[in-house]
Amino acid sequence: MNENASIPDLDDLFDPAFIAEPYATFARLREASPVHWNEKFGLWVITGYDEVVWLLRHHELFSSAVTRASASPPYPPVDEGDRALFDEFKTFRSDQLVEQDRPAHLEQRSVVHPYFTPTAMEAWRPFVREAVHEILDEIQPRGRMDVLPDLAASLPVRVIAQMMDVPYEHRDRLRKMADAILYINRGESHRLRPLIEGVRGIVEYAAPFVEGRIEEPGDDIISVLAGGEREGVFTRHQVLVNVGLLLFAGHETTMNLICNGLLAFIRHGDQWDRLRADPAGMTRLATEECLRYDPPVKSTQRIASEHVEIGDQTIRAGDRIRWIMAAANRDPAVFDDPDRFDIGRQPNPHLSFGSGIHYCLGVALARMEGQEVFRALAERFEAFELEAERVEYQPSIQFRSLKSLPVTWQETL
Amino acid sequence: MSRRLHIEIDHGRCVGNAMCVATEPDVFAHNENRQSEAVNPEAGSPGRILLAAESCPTAAITVEDADTGERLFPPGSGS
Repeated sequence: MNENASIPDLDDLFDPAFIAEPYATFARLREASPVHWNEKFGLWVITGYDEVVWLLRHHELFSSAVTRASASPPYPPVDEGDRALFDEFKTFRSDQLVEQDRPAHLEQRSVVHPYFTPTAMEAWRPFVREAVHEILDEIQPRGRMDVLPDLAASLPVRVIAQMMDVPYEHRDRLRKMADAILYINRGESHRLRPLIEGVRGIVEYAAPFVEGRIEEPGDDIISVLAGGEREGVFTRHQVLVNVGLLLFAGHETTMNLICNGLLAFIRHGDQWDRLRADPAGMTRLATEECLRYDPPVKSTQRIASEHVEIGDQTIRAGDRIRWIMAAANRDPAVFDDPDRFDIGRQPNPHLSFGSGIHYCLGVALARMEGQEVFRALAERFEAFELEAERVEYQPSIQFRSLKSLPVTWQETL
Repeated sequence: MSRRLHIEIDHGRCVGNAMCVATEPDVFAHNENRQSEAVNPEAGSPGRILLAAESCPTAAITVEDADTGERLFPPGSGS
Protein backbone atom coordinates (compact mmCIF):
# COMPACT_ATOMS: atom_id res chain seq x y z
CA MET A 1 0.00 0.00 0.00
CA ASN A 2 1.20 3.47 -0.80
CA GLU A 3 2.22 5.01 2.50
CA ASN A 4 1.05 8.37 1.24
CA ALA A 5 -2.44 7.02 0.65
CA SER A 6 -5.13 9.23 2.01
CA ILE A 7 -7.28 8.23 4.94
CA PRO A 8 -10.54 9.72 3.65
CA ASP A 9 -12.52 9.89 6.87
CA LEU A 10 -9.57 11.51 8.66
CA ASP A 11 -8.92 14.09 5.96
CA ASP A 12 -11.96 16.32 6.11
CA LEU A 13 -10.62 19.00 8.42
CA PHE A 14 -13.90 20.96 8.27
CA ASP A 15 -16.18 17.99 9.05
CA PRO A 16 -18.59 19.27 11.74
CA ALA A 17 -17.97 16.22 13.95
CA PHE A 18 -14.23 16.82 13.70
CA ILE A 19 -14.60 20.54 14.48
CA ALA A 20 -16.69 19.62 17.53
CA GLU A 21 -14.36 16.93 18.90
CA PRO A 22 -11.01 16.71 17.11
CA TYR A 23 -8.92 14.77 19.62
CA ALA A 24 -9.97 11.20 18.79
CA THR A 25 -9.27 11.90 15.11
CA PHE A 26 -5.90 13.45 15.93
CA ALA A 27 -4.98 10.34 17.92
CA ARG A 28 -5.97 8.04 15.03
CA LEU A 29 -3.98 10.17 12.60
CA ARG A 30 -0.93 10.15 14.85
CA GLU A 31 -1.14 6.37 15.29
CA ALA A 32 -1.61 5.81 11.54
CA SER A 33 1.19 8.17 10.53
CA PRO A 34 2.52 11.15 12.47
CA VAL A 35 3.49 12.63 9.09
CA HIS A 36 0.44 12.15 6.90
CA TRP A 37 -0.40 13.30 3.37
CA ASN A 38 -3.91 14.77 3.33
CA GLU A 39 -5.26 14.19 -0.17
CA LYS A 40 -8.32 16.37 0.21
CA PHE A 41 -6.38 19.53 1.08
CA GLY A 42 -3.13 18.61 -0.67
CA LEU A 43 -0.95 19.14 2.37
CA TRP A 44 1.04 17.28 5.01
CA VAL A 45 -0.52 16.92 8.43
CA ILE A 46 2.00 16.50 11.26
CA THR A 47 0.61 15.15 14.54
CA GLY A 48 3.59 13.57 16.37
CA TYR A 49 5.30 15.58 19.12
CA ASP A 50 8.90 14.86 18.10
CA GLU A 51 8.14 15.48 14.43
CA VAL A 52 6.50 18.85 15.19
CA VAL A 53 9.42 19.98 17.38
CA TRP A 54 11.96 18.89 14.75
CA LEU A 55 10.09 20.73 12.03
CA LEU A 56 9.72 23.96 14.03
CA ARG A 57 13.39 24.01 14.99
CA HIS A 58 14.51 23.64 11.34
CA HIS A 59 13.24 26.96 10.03
CA GLU A 60 15.78 26.84 7.20
CA LEU A 61 13.94 23.78 5.82
CA PHE A 62 10.38 24.95 6.48
CA SER A 63 9.43 28.47 5.47
CA SER A 64 6.86 30.58 7.30
CA ALA A 65 6.23 32.71 4.21
CA VAL A 66 3.20 30.57 3.44
CA THR A 67 0.92 33.25 2.02
CA ARG A 68 3.51 34.65 -0.40
CA ALA A 69 4.47 31.17 -1.63
CA SER A 70 0.98 29.78 -2.06
CA ALA A 71 -0.68 30.06 -5.46
CA SER A 72 -3.68 28.01 -4.34
CA PRO A 73 -7.16 29.48 -4.56
CA PRO A 74 -8.93 30.01 -1.24
CA TYR A 75 -10.11 26.76 0.31
CA PRO A 76 -12.87 26.11 1.24
CA PRO A 77 -14.08 28.15 -1.78
CA VAL A 78 -15.24 31.72 -1.31
CA ASP A 79 -18.19 33.49 -2.94
CA GLU A 80 -17.89 34.36 -6.66
CA GLY A 81 -16.58 37.88 -7.01
CA ASP A 82 -14.57 37.82 -3.77
CA ARG A 83 -11.30 36.74 -5.39
CA ALA A 84 -9.96 40.31 -5.52
CA LEU A 85 -10.49 40.48 -1.77
CA PHE A 86 -8.41 37.33 -1.44
CA ASP A 87 -5.49 39.04 -3.18
CA GLU A 88 -5.88 42.08 -0.93
CA PHE A 89 -5.87 39.84 2.10
CA LYS A 90 -2.71 38.07 0.88
CA THR A 91 -0.92 41.42 0.60
CA PHE A 92 -1.87 42.20 4.18
CA ARG A 93 -0.99 38.81 5.57
CA SER A 94 2.34 38.35 3.83
CA ASP A 95 3.70 41.49 5.54
CA GLN A 96 3.05 40.10 9.04
CA LEU A 97 6.03 39.25 11.24
CA VAL A 98 4.81 35.64 11.55
CA GLU A 99 5.14 35.18 7.77
CA GLN A 100 8.81 36.24 7.54
CA ASP A 101 11.86 34.00 7.24
CA ARG A 102 15.40 34.82 8.25
CA PRO A 103 17.19 37.14 7.91
CA ALA A 104 14.24 39.60 7.83
CA HIS A 105 12.45 37.74 10.63
CA LEU A 106 15.32 38.12 13.10
CA GLU A 107 15.73 41.79 12.27
CA GLN A 108 12.01 42.47 12.73
CA ARG A 109 11.53 40.29 15.78
CA SER A 110 14.50 41.98 17.46
CA VAL A 111 12.57 45.27 17.28
CA VAL A 112 9.50 44.00 19.15
CA HIS A 113 10.96 41.14 21.22
CA PRO A 114 12.30 43.27 24.14
CA TYR A 115 8.81 44.66 24.76
CA PHE A 116 7.43 41.15 25.42
CA THR A 117 10.09 39.44 27.57
CA PRO A 118 8.88 37.70 30.75
CA THR A 119 10.57 40.40 32.86
CA ALA A 120 8.99 43.25 30.88
CA MET A 121 5.54 41.63 30.94
CA GLU A 122 5.68 41.01 34.69
CA ALA A 123 5.42 44.79 35.14
CA TRP A 124 1.95 44.54 33.56
CA ARG A 125 0.63 42.00 36.07
CA PRO A 126 -0.96 44.59 38.43
CA PHE A 127 -2.78 46.18 35.47
CA VAL A 128 -4.01 42.79 34.21
CA ARG A 129 -5.13 41.71 37.70
CA GLU A 130 -7.04 44.92 38.23
CA ALA A 131 -8.66 44.68 34.80
CA VAL A 132 -9.83 41.11 35.53
CA HIS A 133 -11.39 42.15 38.85
CA GLU A 134 -13.03 45.24 37.32
CA ILE A 135 -14.64 43.08 34.65
CA LEU A 136 -15.78 40.51 37.22
CA ASP A 137 -17.12 43.22 39.58
CA GLU A 138 -19.42 44.31 36.79
CA ILE A 139 -20.50 40.81 35.79
CA GLN A 140 -20.83 39.07 39.15
CA PRO A 141 -24.12 40.63 40.33
CA ARG A 142 -25.85 39.42 37.13
CA GLY A 143 -25.61 35.76 38.14
CA ARG A 144 -24.82 34.62 34.59
CA MET A 145 -22.51 35.50 31.74
CA ASP A 146 -21.46 34.48 28.30
CA VAL A 147 -17.79 34.00 29.13
CA LEU A 148 -16.69 34.72 25.56
CA PRO A 149 -17.85 38.33 25.04
CA ASP A 150 -18.24 39.31 28.70
CA LEU A 151 -14.85 38.22 30.04
CA ALA A 152 -12.64 36.43 27.53
CA ALA A 153 -12.85 39.04 24.73
CA SER A 154 -13.11 42.01 27.05
CA LEU A 155 -9.82 41.46 28.87
CA PRO A 156 -7.31 41.21 25.98
CA VAL A 157 -8.76 44.29 24.23
CA ARG A 158 -8.37 46.32 27.44
CA VAL A 159 -4.78 45.16 27.79
CA ILE A 160 -3.72 45.67 24.16
CA ALA A 161 -5.42 49.11 24.03
CA GLN A 162 -3.34 50.12 27.05
CA MET A 163 -0.16 48.69 25.50
CA MET A 164 -0.88 50.61 22.29
CA ASP A 165 -1.68 53.68 24.34
CA VAL A 166 -4.86 54.46 22.42
CA PRO A 167 -7.85 56.15 24.07
CA TYR A 168 -9.85 54.01 26.48
CA GLU A 169 -13.09 54.82 24.67
CA HIS A 170 -11.77 53.23 21.44
CA ARG A 171 -12.05 49.77 22.97
CA ASP A 172 -15.35 48.93 21.30
CA ARG A 173 -13.98 49.91 17.91
CA LEU A 174 -10.84 47.83 18.45
CA ARG A 175 -12.96 44.93 19.56
CA LYS A 176 -15.11 45.09 16.38
CA MET A 177 -12.00 45.07 14.17
CA ALA A 178 -10.45 42.23 16.13
CA ASP A 179 -13.71 40.26 15.88
CA ALA A 180 -13.80 40.75 12.09
CA ILE A 181 -10.28 39.42 11.73
CA LEU A 182 -11.41 36.22 13.48
CA TYR A 183 -12.57 35.04 10.05
CA ILE A 184 -8.97 34.06 9.20
CA ASN A 185 -8.80 30.36 8.27
CA ARG A 186 -12.51 29.83 8.73
CA GLY A 187 -14.72 27.85 6.39
CA GLU A 188 -17.62 30.20 5.58
CA SER A 189 -17.84 31.17 1.90
CA HIS A 190 -18.54 34.85 2.75
CA ARG A 191 -15.59 35.06 5.17
CA LEU A 192 -13.44 37.39 3.07
CA ARG A 193 -15.83 40.32 3.32
CA PRO A 194 -15.83 40.74 7.13
CA LEU A 195 -12.14 39.84 7.16
CA ILE A 196 -11.18 42.59 4.69
CA GLU A 197 -13.40 45.05 6.53
CA GLY A 198 -11.43 44.30 9.70
CA VAL A 199 -8.07 44.49 7.93
CA ARG A 200 -8.88 47.83 6.25
CA GLY A 201 -10.33 49.10 9.50
CA ILE A 202 -7.21 48.44 11.53
CA VAL A 203 -4.87 49.90 8.90
CA GLU A 204 -7.01 53.05 8.68
CA TYR A 205 -7.33 53.24 12.48
CA ALA A 206 -3.63 52.77 13.17
CA ALA A 207 -2.28 55.12 10.47
CA PRO A 208 -2.57 58.42 12.39
CA PHE A 209 -1.18 56.86 15.58
CA VAL A 210 1.83 55.50 13.70
CA GLU A 211 2.37 58.87 12.00
CA GLY A 212 2.29 60.65 15.33
CA ARG A 213 4.66 58.26 17.06
CA ILE A 214 7.25 58.37 14.32
CA GLU A 215 7.55 62.03 15.33
CA GLU A 216 7.01 61.70 19.06
CA PRO A 217 7.64 58.19 20.33
CA GLY A 218 6.35 57.02 23.69
CA ASP A 219 6.95 53.75 25.53
CA ASP A 220 3.97 51.99 23.91
CA ILE A 221 4.04 49.12 21.40
CA ILE A 222 2.99 51.28 18.42
CA SER A 223 6.02 53.48 19.15
CA VAL A 224 8.19 50.36 19.22
CA LEU A 225 6.99 49.38 15.73
CA ALA A 226 7.31 52.97 14.50
CA GLY A 227 10.88 52.95 15.82
CA GLY A 228 11.50 49.92 13.60
CA GLU A 229 10.39 52.01 10.63
CA ARG A 230 12.75 54.83 11.62
CA GLU A 231 15.60 52.33 11.73
CA GLY A 232 14.67 51.04 8.28
CA VAL A 233 13.62 47.59 9.51
CA PHE A 234 9.90 47.97 8.69
CA THR A 235 8.09 49.68 5.85
CA ARG A 236 5.05 51.73 6.85
CA HIS A 237 2.77 49.00 5.51
CA GLN A 238 4.58 46.43 7.64
CA VAL A 239 4.16 48.62 10.72
CA LEU A 240 0.40 48.97 10.10
CA VAL A 241 -0.03 45.28 9.35
CA ASN A 242 1.84 44.32 12.53
CA VAL A 243 -0.28 46.66 14.66
CA GLY A 244 -3.17 44.62 13.27
CA LEU A 245 -1.36 41.37 14.03
CA LEU A 246 -0.77 42.37 17.66
CA LEU A 247 -4.39 43.38 18.09
CA PHE A 248 -5.64 40.15 16.57
CA ALA A 249 -3.07 37.72 17.94
CA GLY A 250 -3.60 38.91 21.49
CA HIS A 251 -7.38 38.80 21.11
CA GLU A 252 -8.38 35.47 19.63
CA THR A 253 -5.78 33.35 21.40
CA THR A 254 -6.46 34.74 24.87
CA MET A 255 -10.19 34.42 24.31
CA ASN A 256 -9.77 30.76 23.46
CA LEU A 257 -7.44 30.12 26.40
CA ILE A 258 -9.99 31.53 28.85
CA CYS A 259 -13.04 29.84 27.29
CA ASN A 260 -11.47 26.44 26.62
CA GLY A 261 -9.82 26.45 30.03
CA LEU A 262 -13.00 27.31 31.91
CA LEU A 263 -14.93 24.69 29.94
CA ALA A 264 -12.32 22.08 30.96
CA PHE A 265 -12.79 23.11 34.60
CA ILE A 266 -16.59 22.87 34.29
CA ARG A 267 -16.21 19.34 32.92
CA HIS A 268 -13.63 18.32 35.52
CA GLY A 269 -15.02 19.46 38.87
CA ASP A 270 -12.25 17.69 40.80
CA GLN A 271 -9.63 19.87 39.06
CA TRP A 272 -11.68 23.01 39.73
CA ASP A 273 -11.79 22.10 43.43
CA ARG A 274 -8.04 21.57 43.34
CA LEU A 275 -7.52 25.07 41.92
CA ARG A 276 -9.96 26.58 44.41
CA ALA A 277 -8.06 25.05 47.31
CA ASP A 278 -5.00 27.16 46.38
CA PRO A 279 -5.73 29.63 43.57
CA ALA A 280 -2.53 31.68 43.95
CA GLY A 281 -0.33 28.58 44.24
CA MET A 282 -1.94 26.44 41.52
CA THR A 283 -2.81 28.96 38.83
CA ARG A 284 0.54 28.79 36.98
CA LEU A 285 0.51 25.02 36.50
CA ALA A 286 -3.24 25.04 35.87
CA THR A 287 -2.87 27.57 33.07
CA GLU A 288 -0.18 25.41 31.43
CA GLU A 289 -2.51 22.39 31.55
CA CYS A 290 -5.37 24.43 30.04
CA LEU A 291 -2.96 25.43 27.26
CA ARG A 292 -1.97 21.79 26.66
CA TYR A 293 -5.33 20.08 27.03
CA ASP A 294 -7.44 22.22 24.68
CA PRO A 295 -5.13 24.80 23.14
CA PRO A 296 -6.25 28.16 21.69
CA VAL A 297 -4.58 27.36 18.37
CA LYS A 298 -4.99 23.87 16.94
CA SER A 299 -2.57 24.14 14.06
CA THR A 300 -0.39 26.42 11.94
CA GLN A 301 1.28 26.16 8.54
CA ARG A 302 4.72 25.94 6.98
CA ILE A 303 5.91 25.37 3.43
CA ALA A 304 8.88 23.12 2.65
CA SER A 305 11.92 24.99 1.27
CA GLU A 306 13.58 21.82 0.01
CA HIS A 307 13.12 18.04 -0.10
CA VAL A 308 13.12 16.74 3.47
CA GLU A 309 12.97 13.22 4.91
CA ILE A 310 10.87 13.18 8.05
CA GLY A 311 9.72 9.98 9.73
CA ASP A 312 9.40 7.57 6.81
CA GLN A 313 8.07 10.23 4.45
CA THR A 314 9.62 12.55 1.90
CA ILE A 315 8.28 16.07 1.90
CA ARG A 316 9.01 17.87 -1.38
CA ALA A 317 10.08 21.45 -1.85
CA GLY A 318 6.98 23.61 -2.10
CA ASP A 319 4.72 21.17 -0.22
CA ARG A 320 2.39 22.75 2.29
CA ILE A 321 2.47 21.47 5.86
CA ARG A 322 0.00 21.86 8.68
CA TRP A 323 1.50 21.06 12.07
CA ILE A 324 -1.02 20.31 14.76
CA MET A 325 0.00 21.32 18.26
CA ALA A 326 -3.36 20.16 19.61
CA ALA A 327 -2.40 16.63 18.48
CA ALA A 328 1.25 16.81 19.59
CA ASN A 329 0.10 17.97 23.03
CA ARG A 330 -1.59 14.61 23.50
CA ASP A 331 1.21 12.42 22.22
CA PRO A 332 1.49 9.56 24.75
CA ALA A 333 5.22 9.29 24.04
CA VAL A 334 5.63 12.60 25.91
CA PHE A 335 2.58 13.01 28.17
CA ASP A 336 1.37 10.31 30.60
CA ASP A 337 -2.34 9.68 30.28
CA PRO A 338 -2.54 12.53 27.74
CA ASP A 339 -6.34 12.72 27.55
CA ARG A 340 -6.56 13.42 31.28
CA PHE A 341 -6.96 17.05 32.38
CA ASP A 342 -4.54 17.24 35.32
CA ILE A 343 -3.71 20.75 36.57
CA GLY A 344 -0.75 19.49 38.59
CA ARG A 345 0.96 18.08 35.48
CA GLN A 346 4.69 18.74 35.62
CA PRO A 347 6.74 18.92 33.49
CA ASN A 348 4.31 20.07 30.84
CA PRO A 349 6.30 20.81 27.68
CA HIS A 350 3.22 21.49 25.52
CA LEU A 351 3.61 23.06 22.09
CA SER A 352 0.75 25.53 22.32
CA PHE A 353 3.15 28.46 21.80
CA GLY A 354 5.11 26.59 19.14
CA SER A 355 8.88 26.17 19.26
CA GLY A 356 11.95 27.54 17.52
CA ILE A 357 12.51 31.03 16.14
CA HIS A 358 8.79 31.75 15.70
CA TYR A 359 7.91 30.75 19.29
CA CYS A 360 4.98 32.95 20.34
CA LEU A 361 6.08 36.56 20.87
CA GLY A 362 3.23 37.21 23.31
CA VAL A 363 3.80 34.09 25.42
CA ALA A 364 4.48 35.90 28.71
CA LEU A 365 1.41 38.10 28.29
CA ALA A 366 -0.85 35.18 27.33
CA ARG A 367 0.33 33.17 30.34
CA MET A 368 -0.21 36.11 32.66
CA GLU A 369 -3.73 36.79 31.37
CA GLY A 370 -4.63 33.12 31.80
CA GLN A 371 -3.08 32.93 35.27
CA GLU A 372 -4.86 36.05 36.50
CA VAL A 373 -8.24 35.01 35.07
CA PHE A 374 -8.21 31.45 36.44
CA ARG A 375 -6.94 32.67 39.80
CA ALA A 376 -9.61 35.37 40.11
CA LEU A 377 -12.39 33.02 39.02
CA ALA A 378 -11.30 30.41 41.57
CA GLU A 379 -11.12 33.02 44.33
CA ARG A 380 -14.52 34.50 43.56
CA PHE A 381 -16.77 31.66 42.38
CA GLU A 382 -17.59 28.35 43.99
CA ALA A 383 -18.75 26.51 40.90
CA PHE A 384 -19.82 27.23 37.33
CA GLU A 385 -22.55 25.47 35.46
CA LEU A 386 -22.91 25.36 31.72
CA GLU A 387 -26.16 27.03 30.69
CA ALA A 388 -26.41 25.19 27.37
CA GLU A 389 -26.88 21.55 26.49
CA ARG A 390 -23.82 21.56 24.27
CA VAL A 391 -21.21 24.00 23.05
CA GLU A 392 -20.35 24.78 19.43
CA TYR A 393 -17.05 25.70 17.82
CA GLN A 394 -16.21 28.03 14.93
CA PRO A 395 -15.46 26.12 11.71
CA SER A 396 -11.71 26.77 11.74
CA ILE A 397 -8.72 24.53 11.05
CA GLN A 398 -6.42 26.89 12.86
CA PHE A 399 -8.26 28.02 15.97
CA ARG A 400 -10.12 26.15 18.69
CA SER A 401 -12.76 28.82 19.18
CA LEU A 402 -16.06 28.40 20.98
CA LYS A 403 -19.01 30.32 19.55
CA SER A 404 -20.21 31.11 23.07
CA LEU A 405 -19.91 29.83 26.62
CA PRO A 406 -22.97 30.72 28.68
CA VAL A 407 -22.59 29.92 32.39
CA THR A 408 -24.28 30.46 35.73
CA TRP A 409 -22.61 30.11 39.13
CA GLN A 410 -22.66 29.90 42.86
CA GLU A 411 -20.70 32.62 44.54
CA THR A 412 -18.02 32.04 47.10
CA LEU A 413 -19.33 33.42 50.37
CA MET B 1 39.05 42.55 35.41
CA SER B 2 35.52 41.73 34.35
CA ARG B 3 33.27 39.49 36.31
CA ARG B 4 33.28 35.73 35.61
CA LEU B 5 29.78 34.42 35.06
CA HIS B 6 28.25 30.99 35.54
CA ILE B 7 25.45 30.32 33.04
CA GLU B 8 22.83 27.55 33.37
CA ILE B 9 20.34 26.70 30.62
CA ASP B 10 17.31 24.64 31.55
CA HIS B 11 16.74 22.34 28.57
CA GLY B 12 13.33 21.43 29.94
CA ARG B 13 12.36 25.02 29.16
CA CYS B 14 14.55 26.01 26.19
CA VAL B 15 12.50 26.06 22.98
CA GLY B 16 15.28 27.10 20.63
CA ASN B 17 13.93 30.62 20.11
CA ALA B 18 17.56 31.65 19.55
CA MET B 19 17.28 35.21 20.82
CA CYS B 20 20.18 34.47 23.19
CA VAL B 21 22.30 33.31 20.25
CA ALA B 22 21.38 36.48 18.34
CA THR B 23 22.12 38.70 21.36
CA GLU B 24 25.49 37.19 22.39
CA PRO B 25 26.76 34.84 19.67
CA ASP B 26 30.21 34.68 21.28
CA VAL B 27 28.72 32.73 24.20
CA PHE B 28 25.49 31.01 23.14
CA ALA B 29 25.13 28.44 20.36
CA HIS B 30 22.59 25.79 19.43
CA ASN B 31 23.29 22.09 19.94
CA GLU B 32 22.07 19.31 17.64
CA ASN B 33 18.57 19.53 19.19
CA ARG B 34 18.53 23.24 18.37
CA GLN B 35 18.59 24.11 22.05
CA SER B 36 20.91 26.70 23.49
CA GLU B 37 24.24 25.94 25.17
CA ALA B 38 26.63 28.39 26.82
CA VAL B 39 29.56 27.10 24.80
CA ASN B 40 32.03 29.79 25.78
CA PRO B 41 30.94 31.70 28.90
CA GLU B 42 34.31 33.41 29.24
CA ALA B 43 34.13 34.96 25.77
CA GLY B 44 31.25 37.36 26.02
CA SER B 45 30.47 40.66 27.64
CA PRO B 46 28.66 40.30 30.98
CA GLY B 47 26.19 42.99 29.89
CA ARG B 48 25.24 41.15 26.72
CA ILE B 49 25.03 37.82 28.56
CA LEU B 50 22.50 39.33 30.97
CA LEU B 51 20.56 40.84 28.04
CA ALA B 52 20.55 37.42 26.38
CA ALA B 53 19.19 35.83 29.58
CA GLU B 54 16.50 38.47 29.84
CA SER B 55 15.53 38.00 26.19
CA CYS B 56 14.66 34.33 26.72
CA PRO B 57 10.89 33.97 26.22
CA THR B 58 10.76 30.93 28.51
CA ALA B 59 13.17 32.26 31.18
CA ALA B 60 15.39 29.22 30.66
CA ILE B 61 18.68 31.00 31.39
CA THR B 62 20.12 31.57 34.86
CA VAL B 63 23.23 33.70 35.35
CA GLU B 64 25.32 33.78 38.52
CA ASP B 65 28.57 35.42 39.53
CA ALA B 66 30.99 32.49 39.26
CA ASP B 67 33.05 33.67 42.22
CA THR B 68 30.45 34.77 44.74
CA GLY B 69 27.48 32.65 43.62
CA GLU B 70 25.31 35.77 43.55
CA ARG B 71 22.24 35.33 41.35
CA LEU B 72 22.28 37.99 38.62
CA PHE B 73 19.37 36.73 36.48
CA PRO B 74 16.51 36.14 37.01
CA PRO B 75 16.39 38.73 39.76
CA GLY B 76 15.53 37.41 43.20
CA SER B 77 17.23 35.32 45.81
CA GLY B 78 20.34 33.37 44.91
CA SER B 79 20.46 29.60 44.81
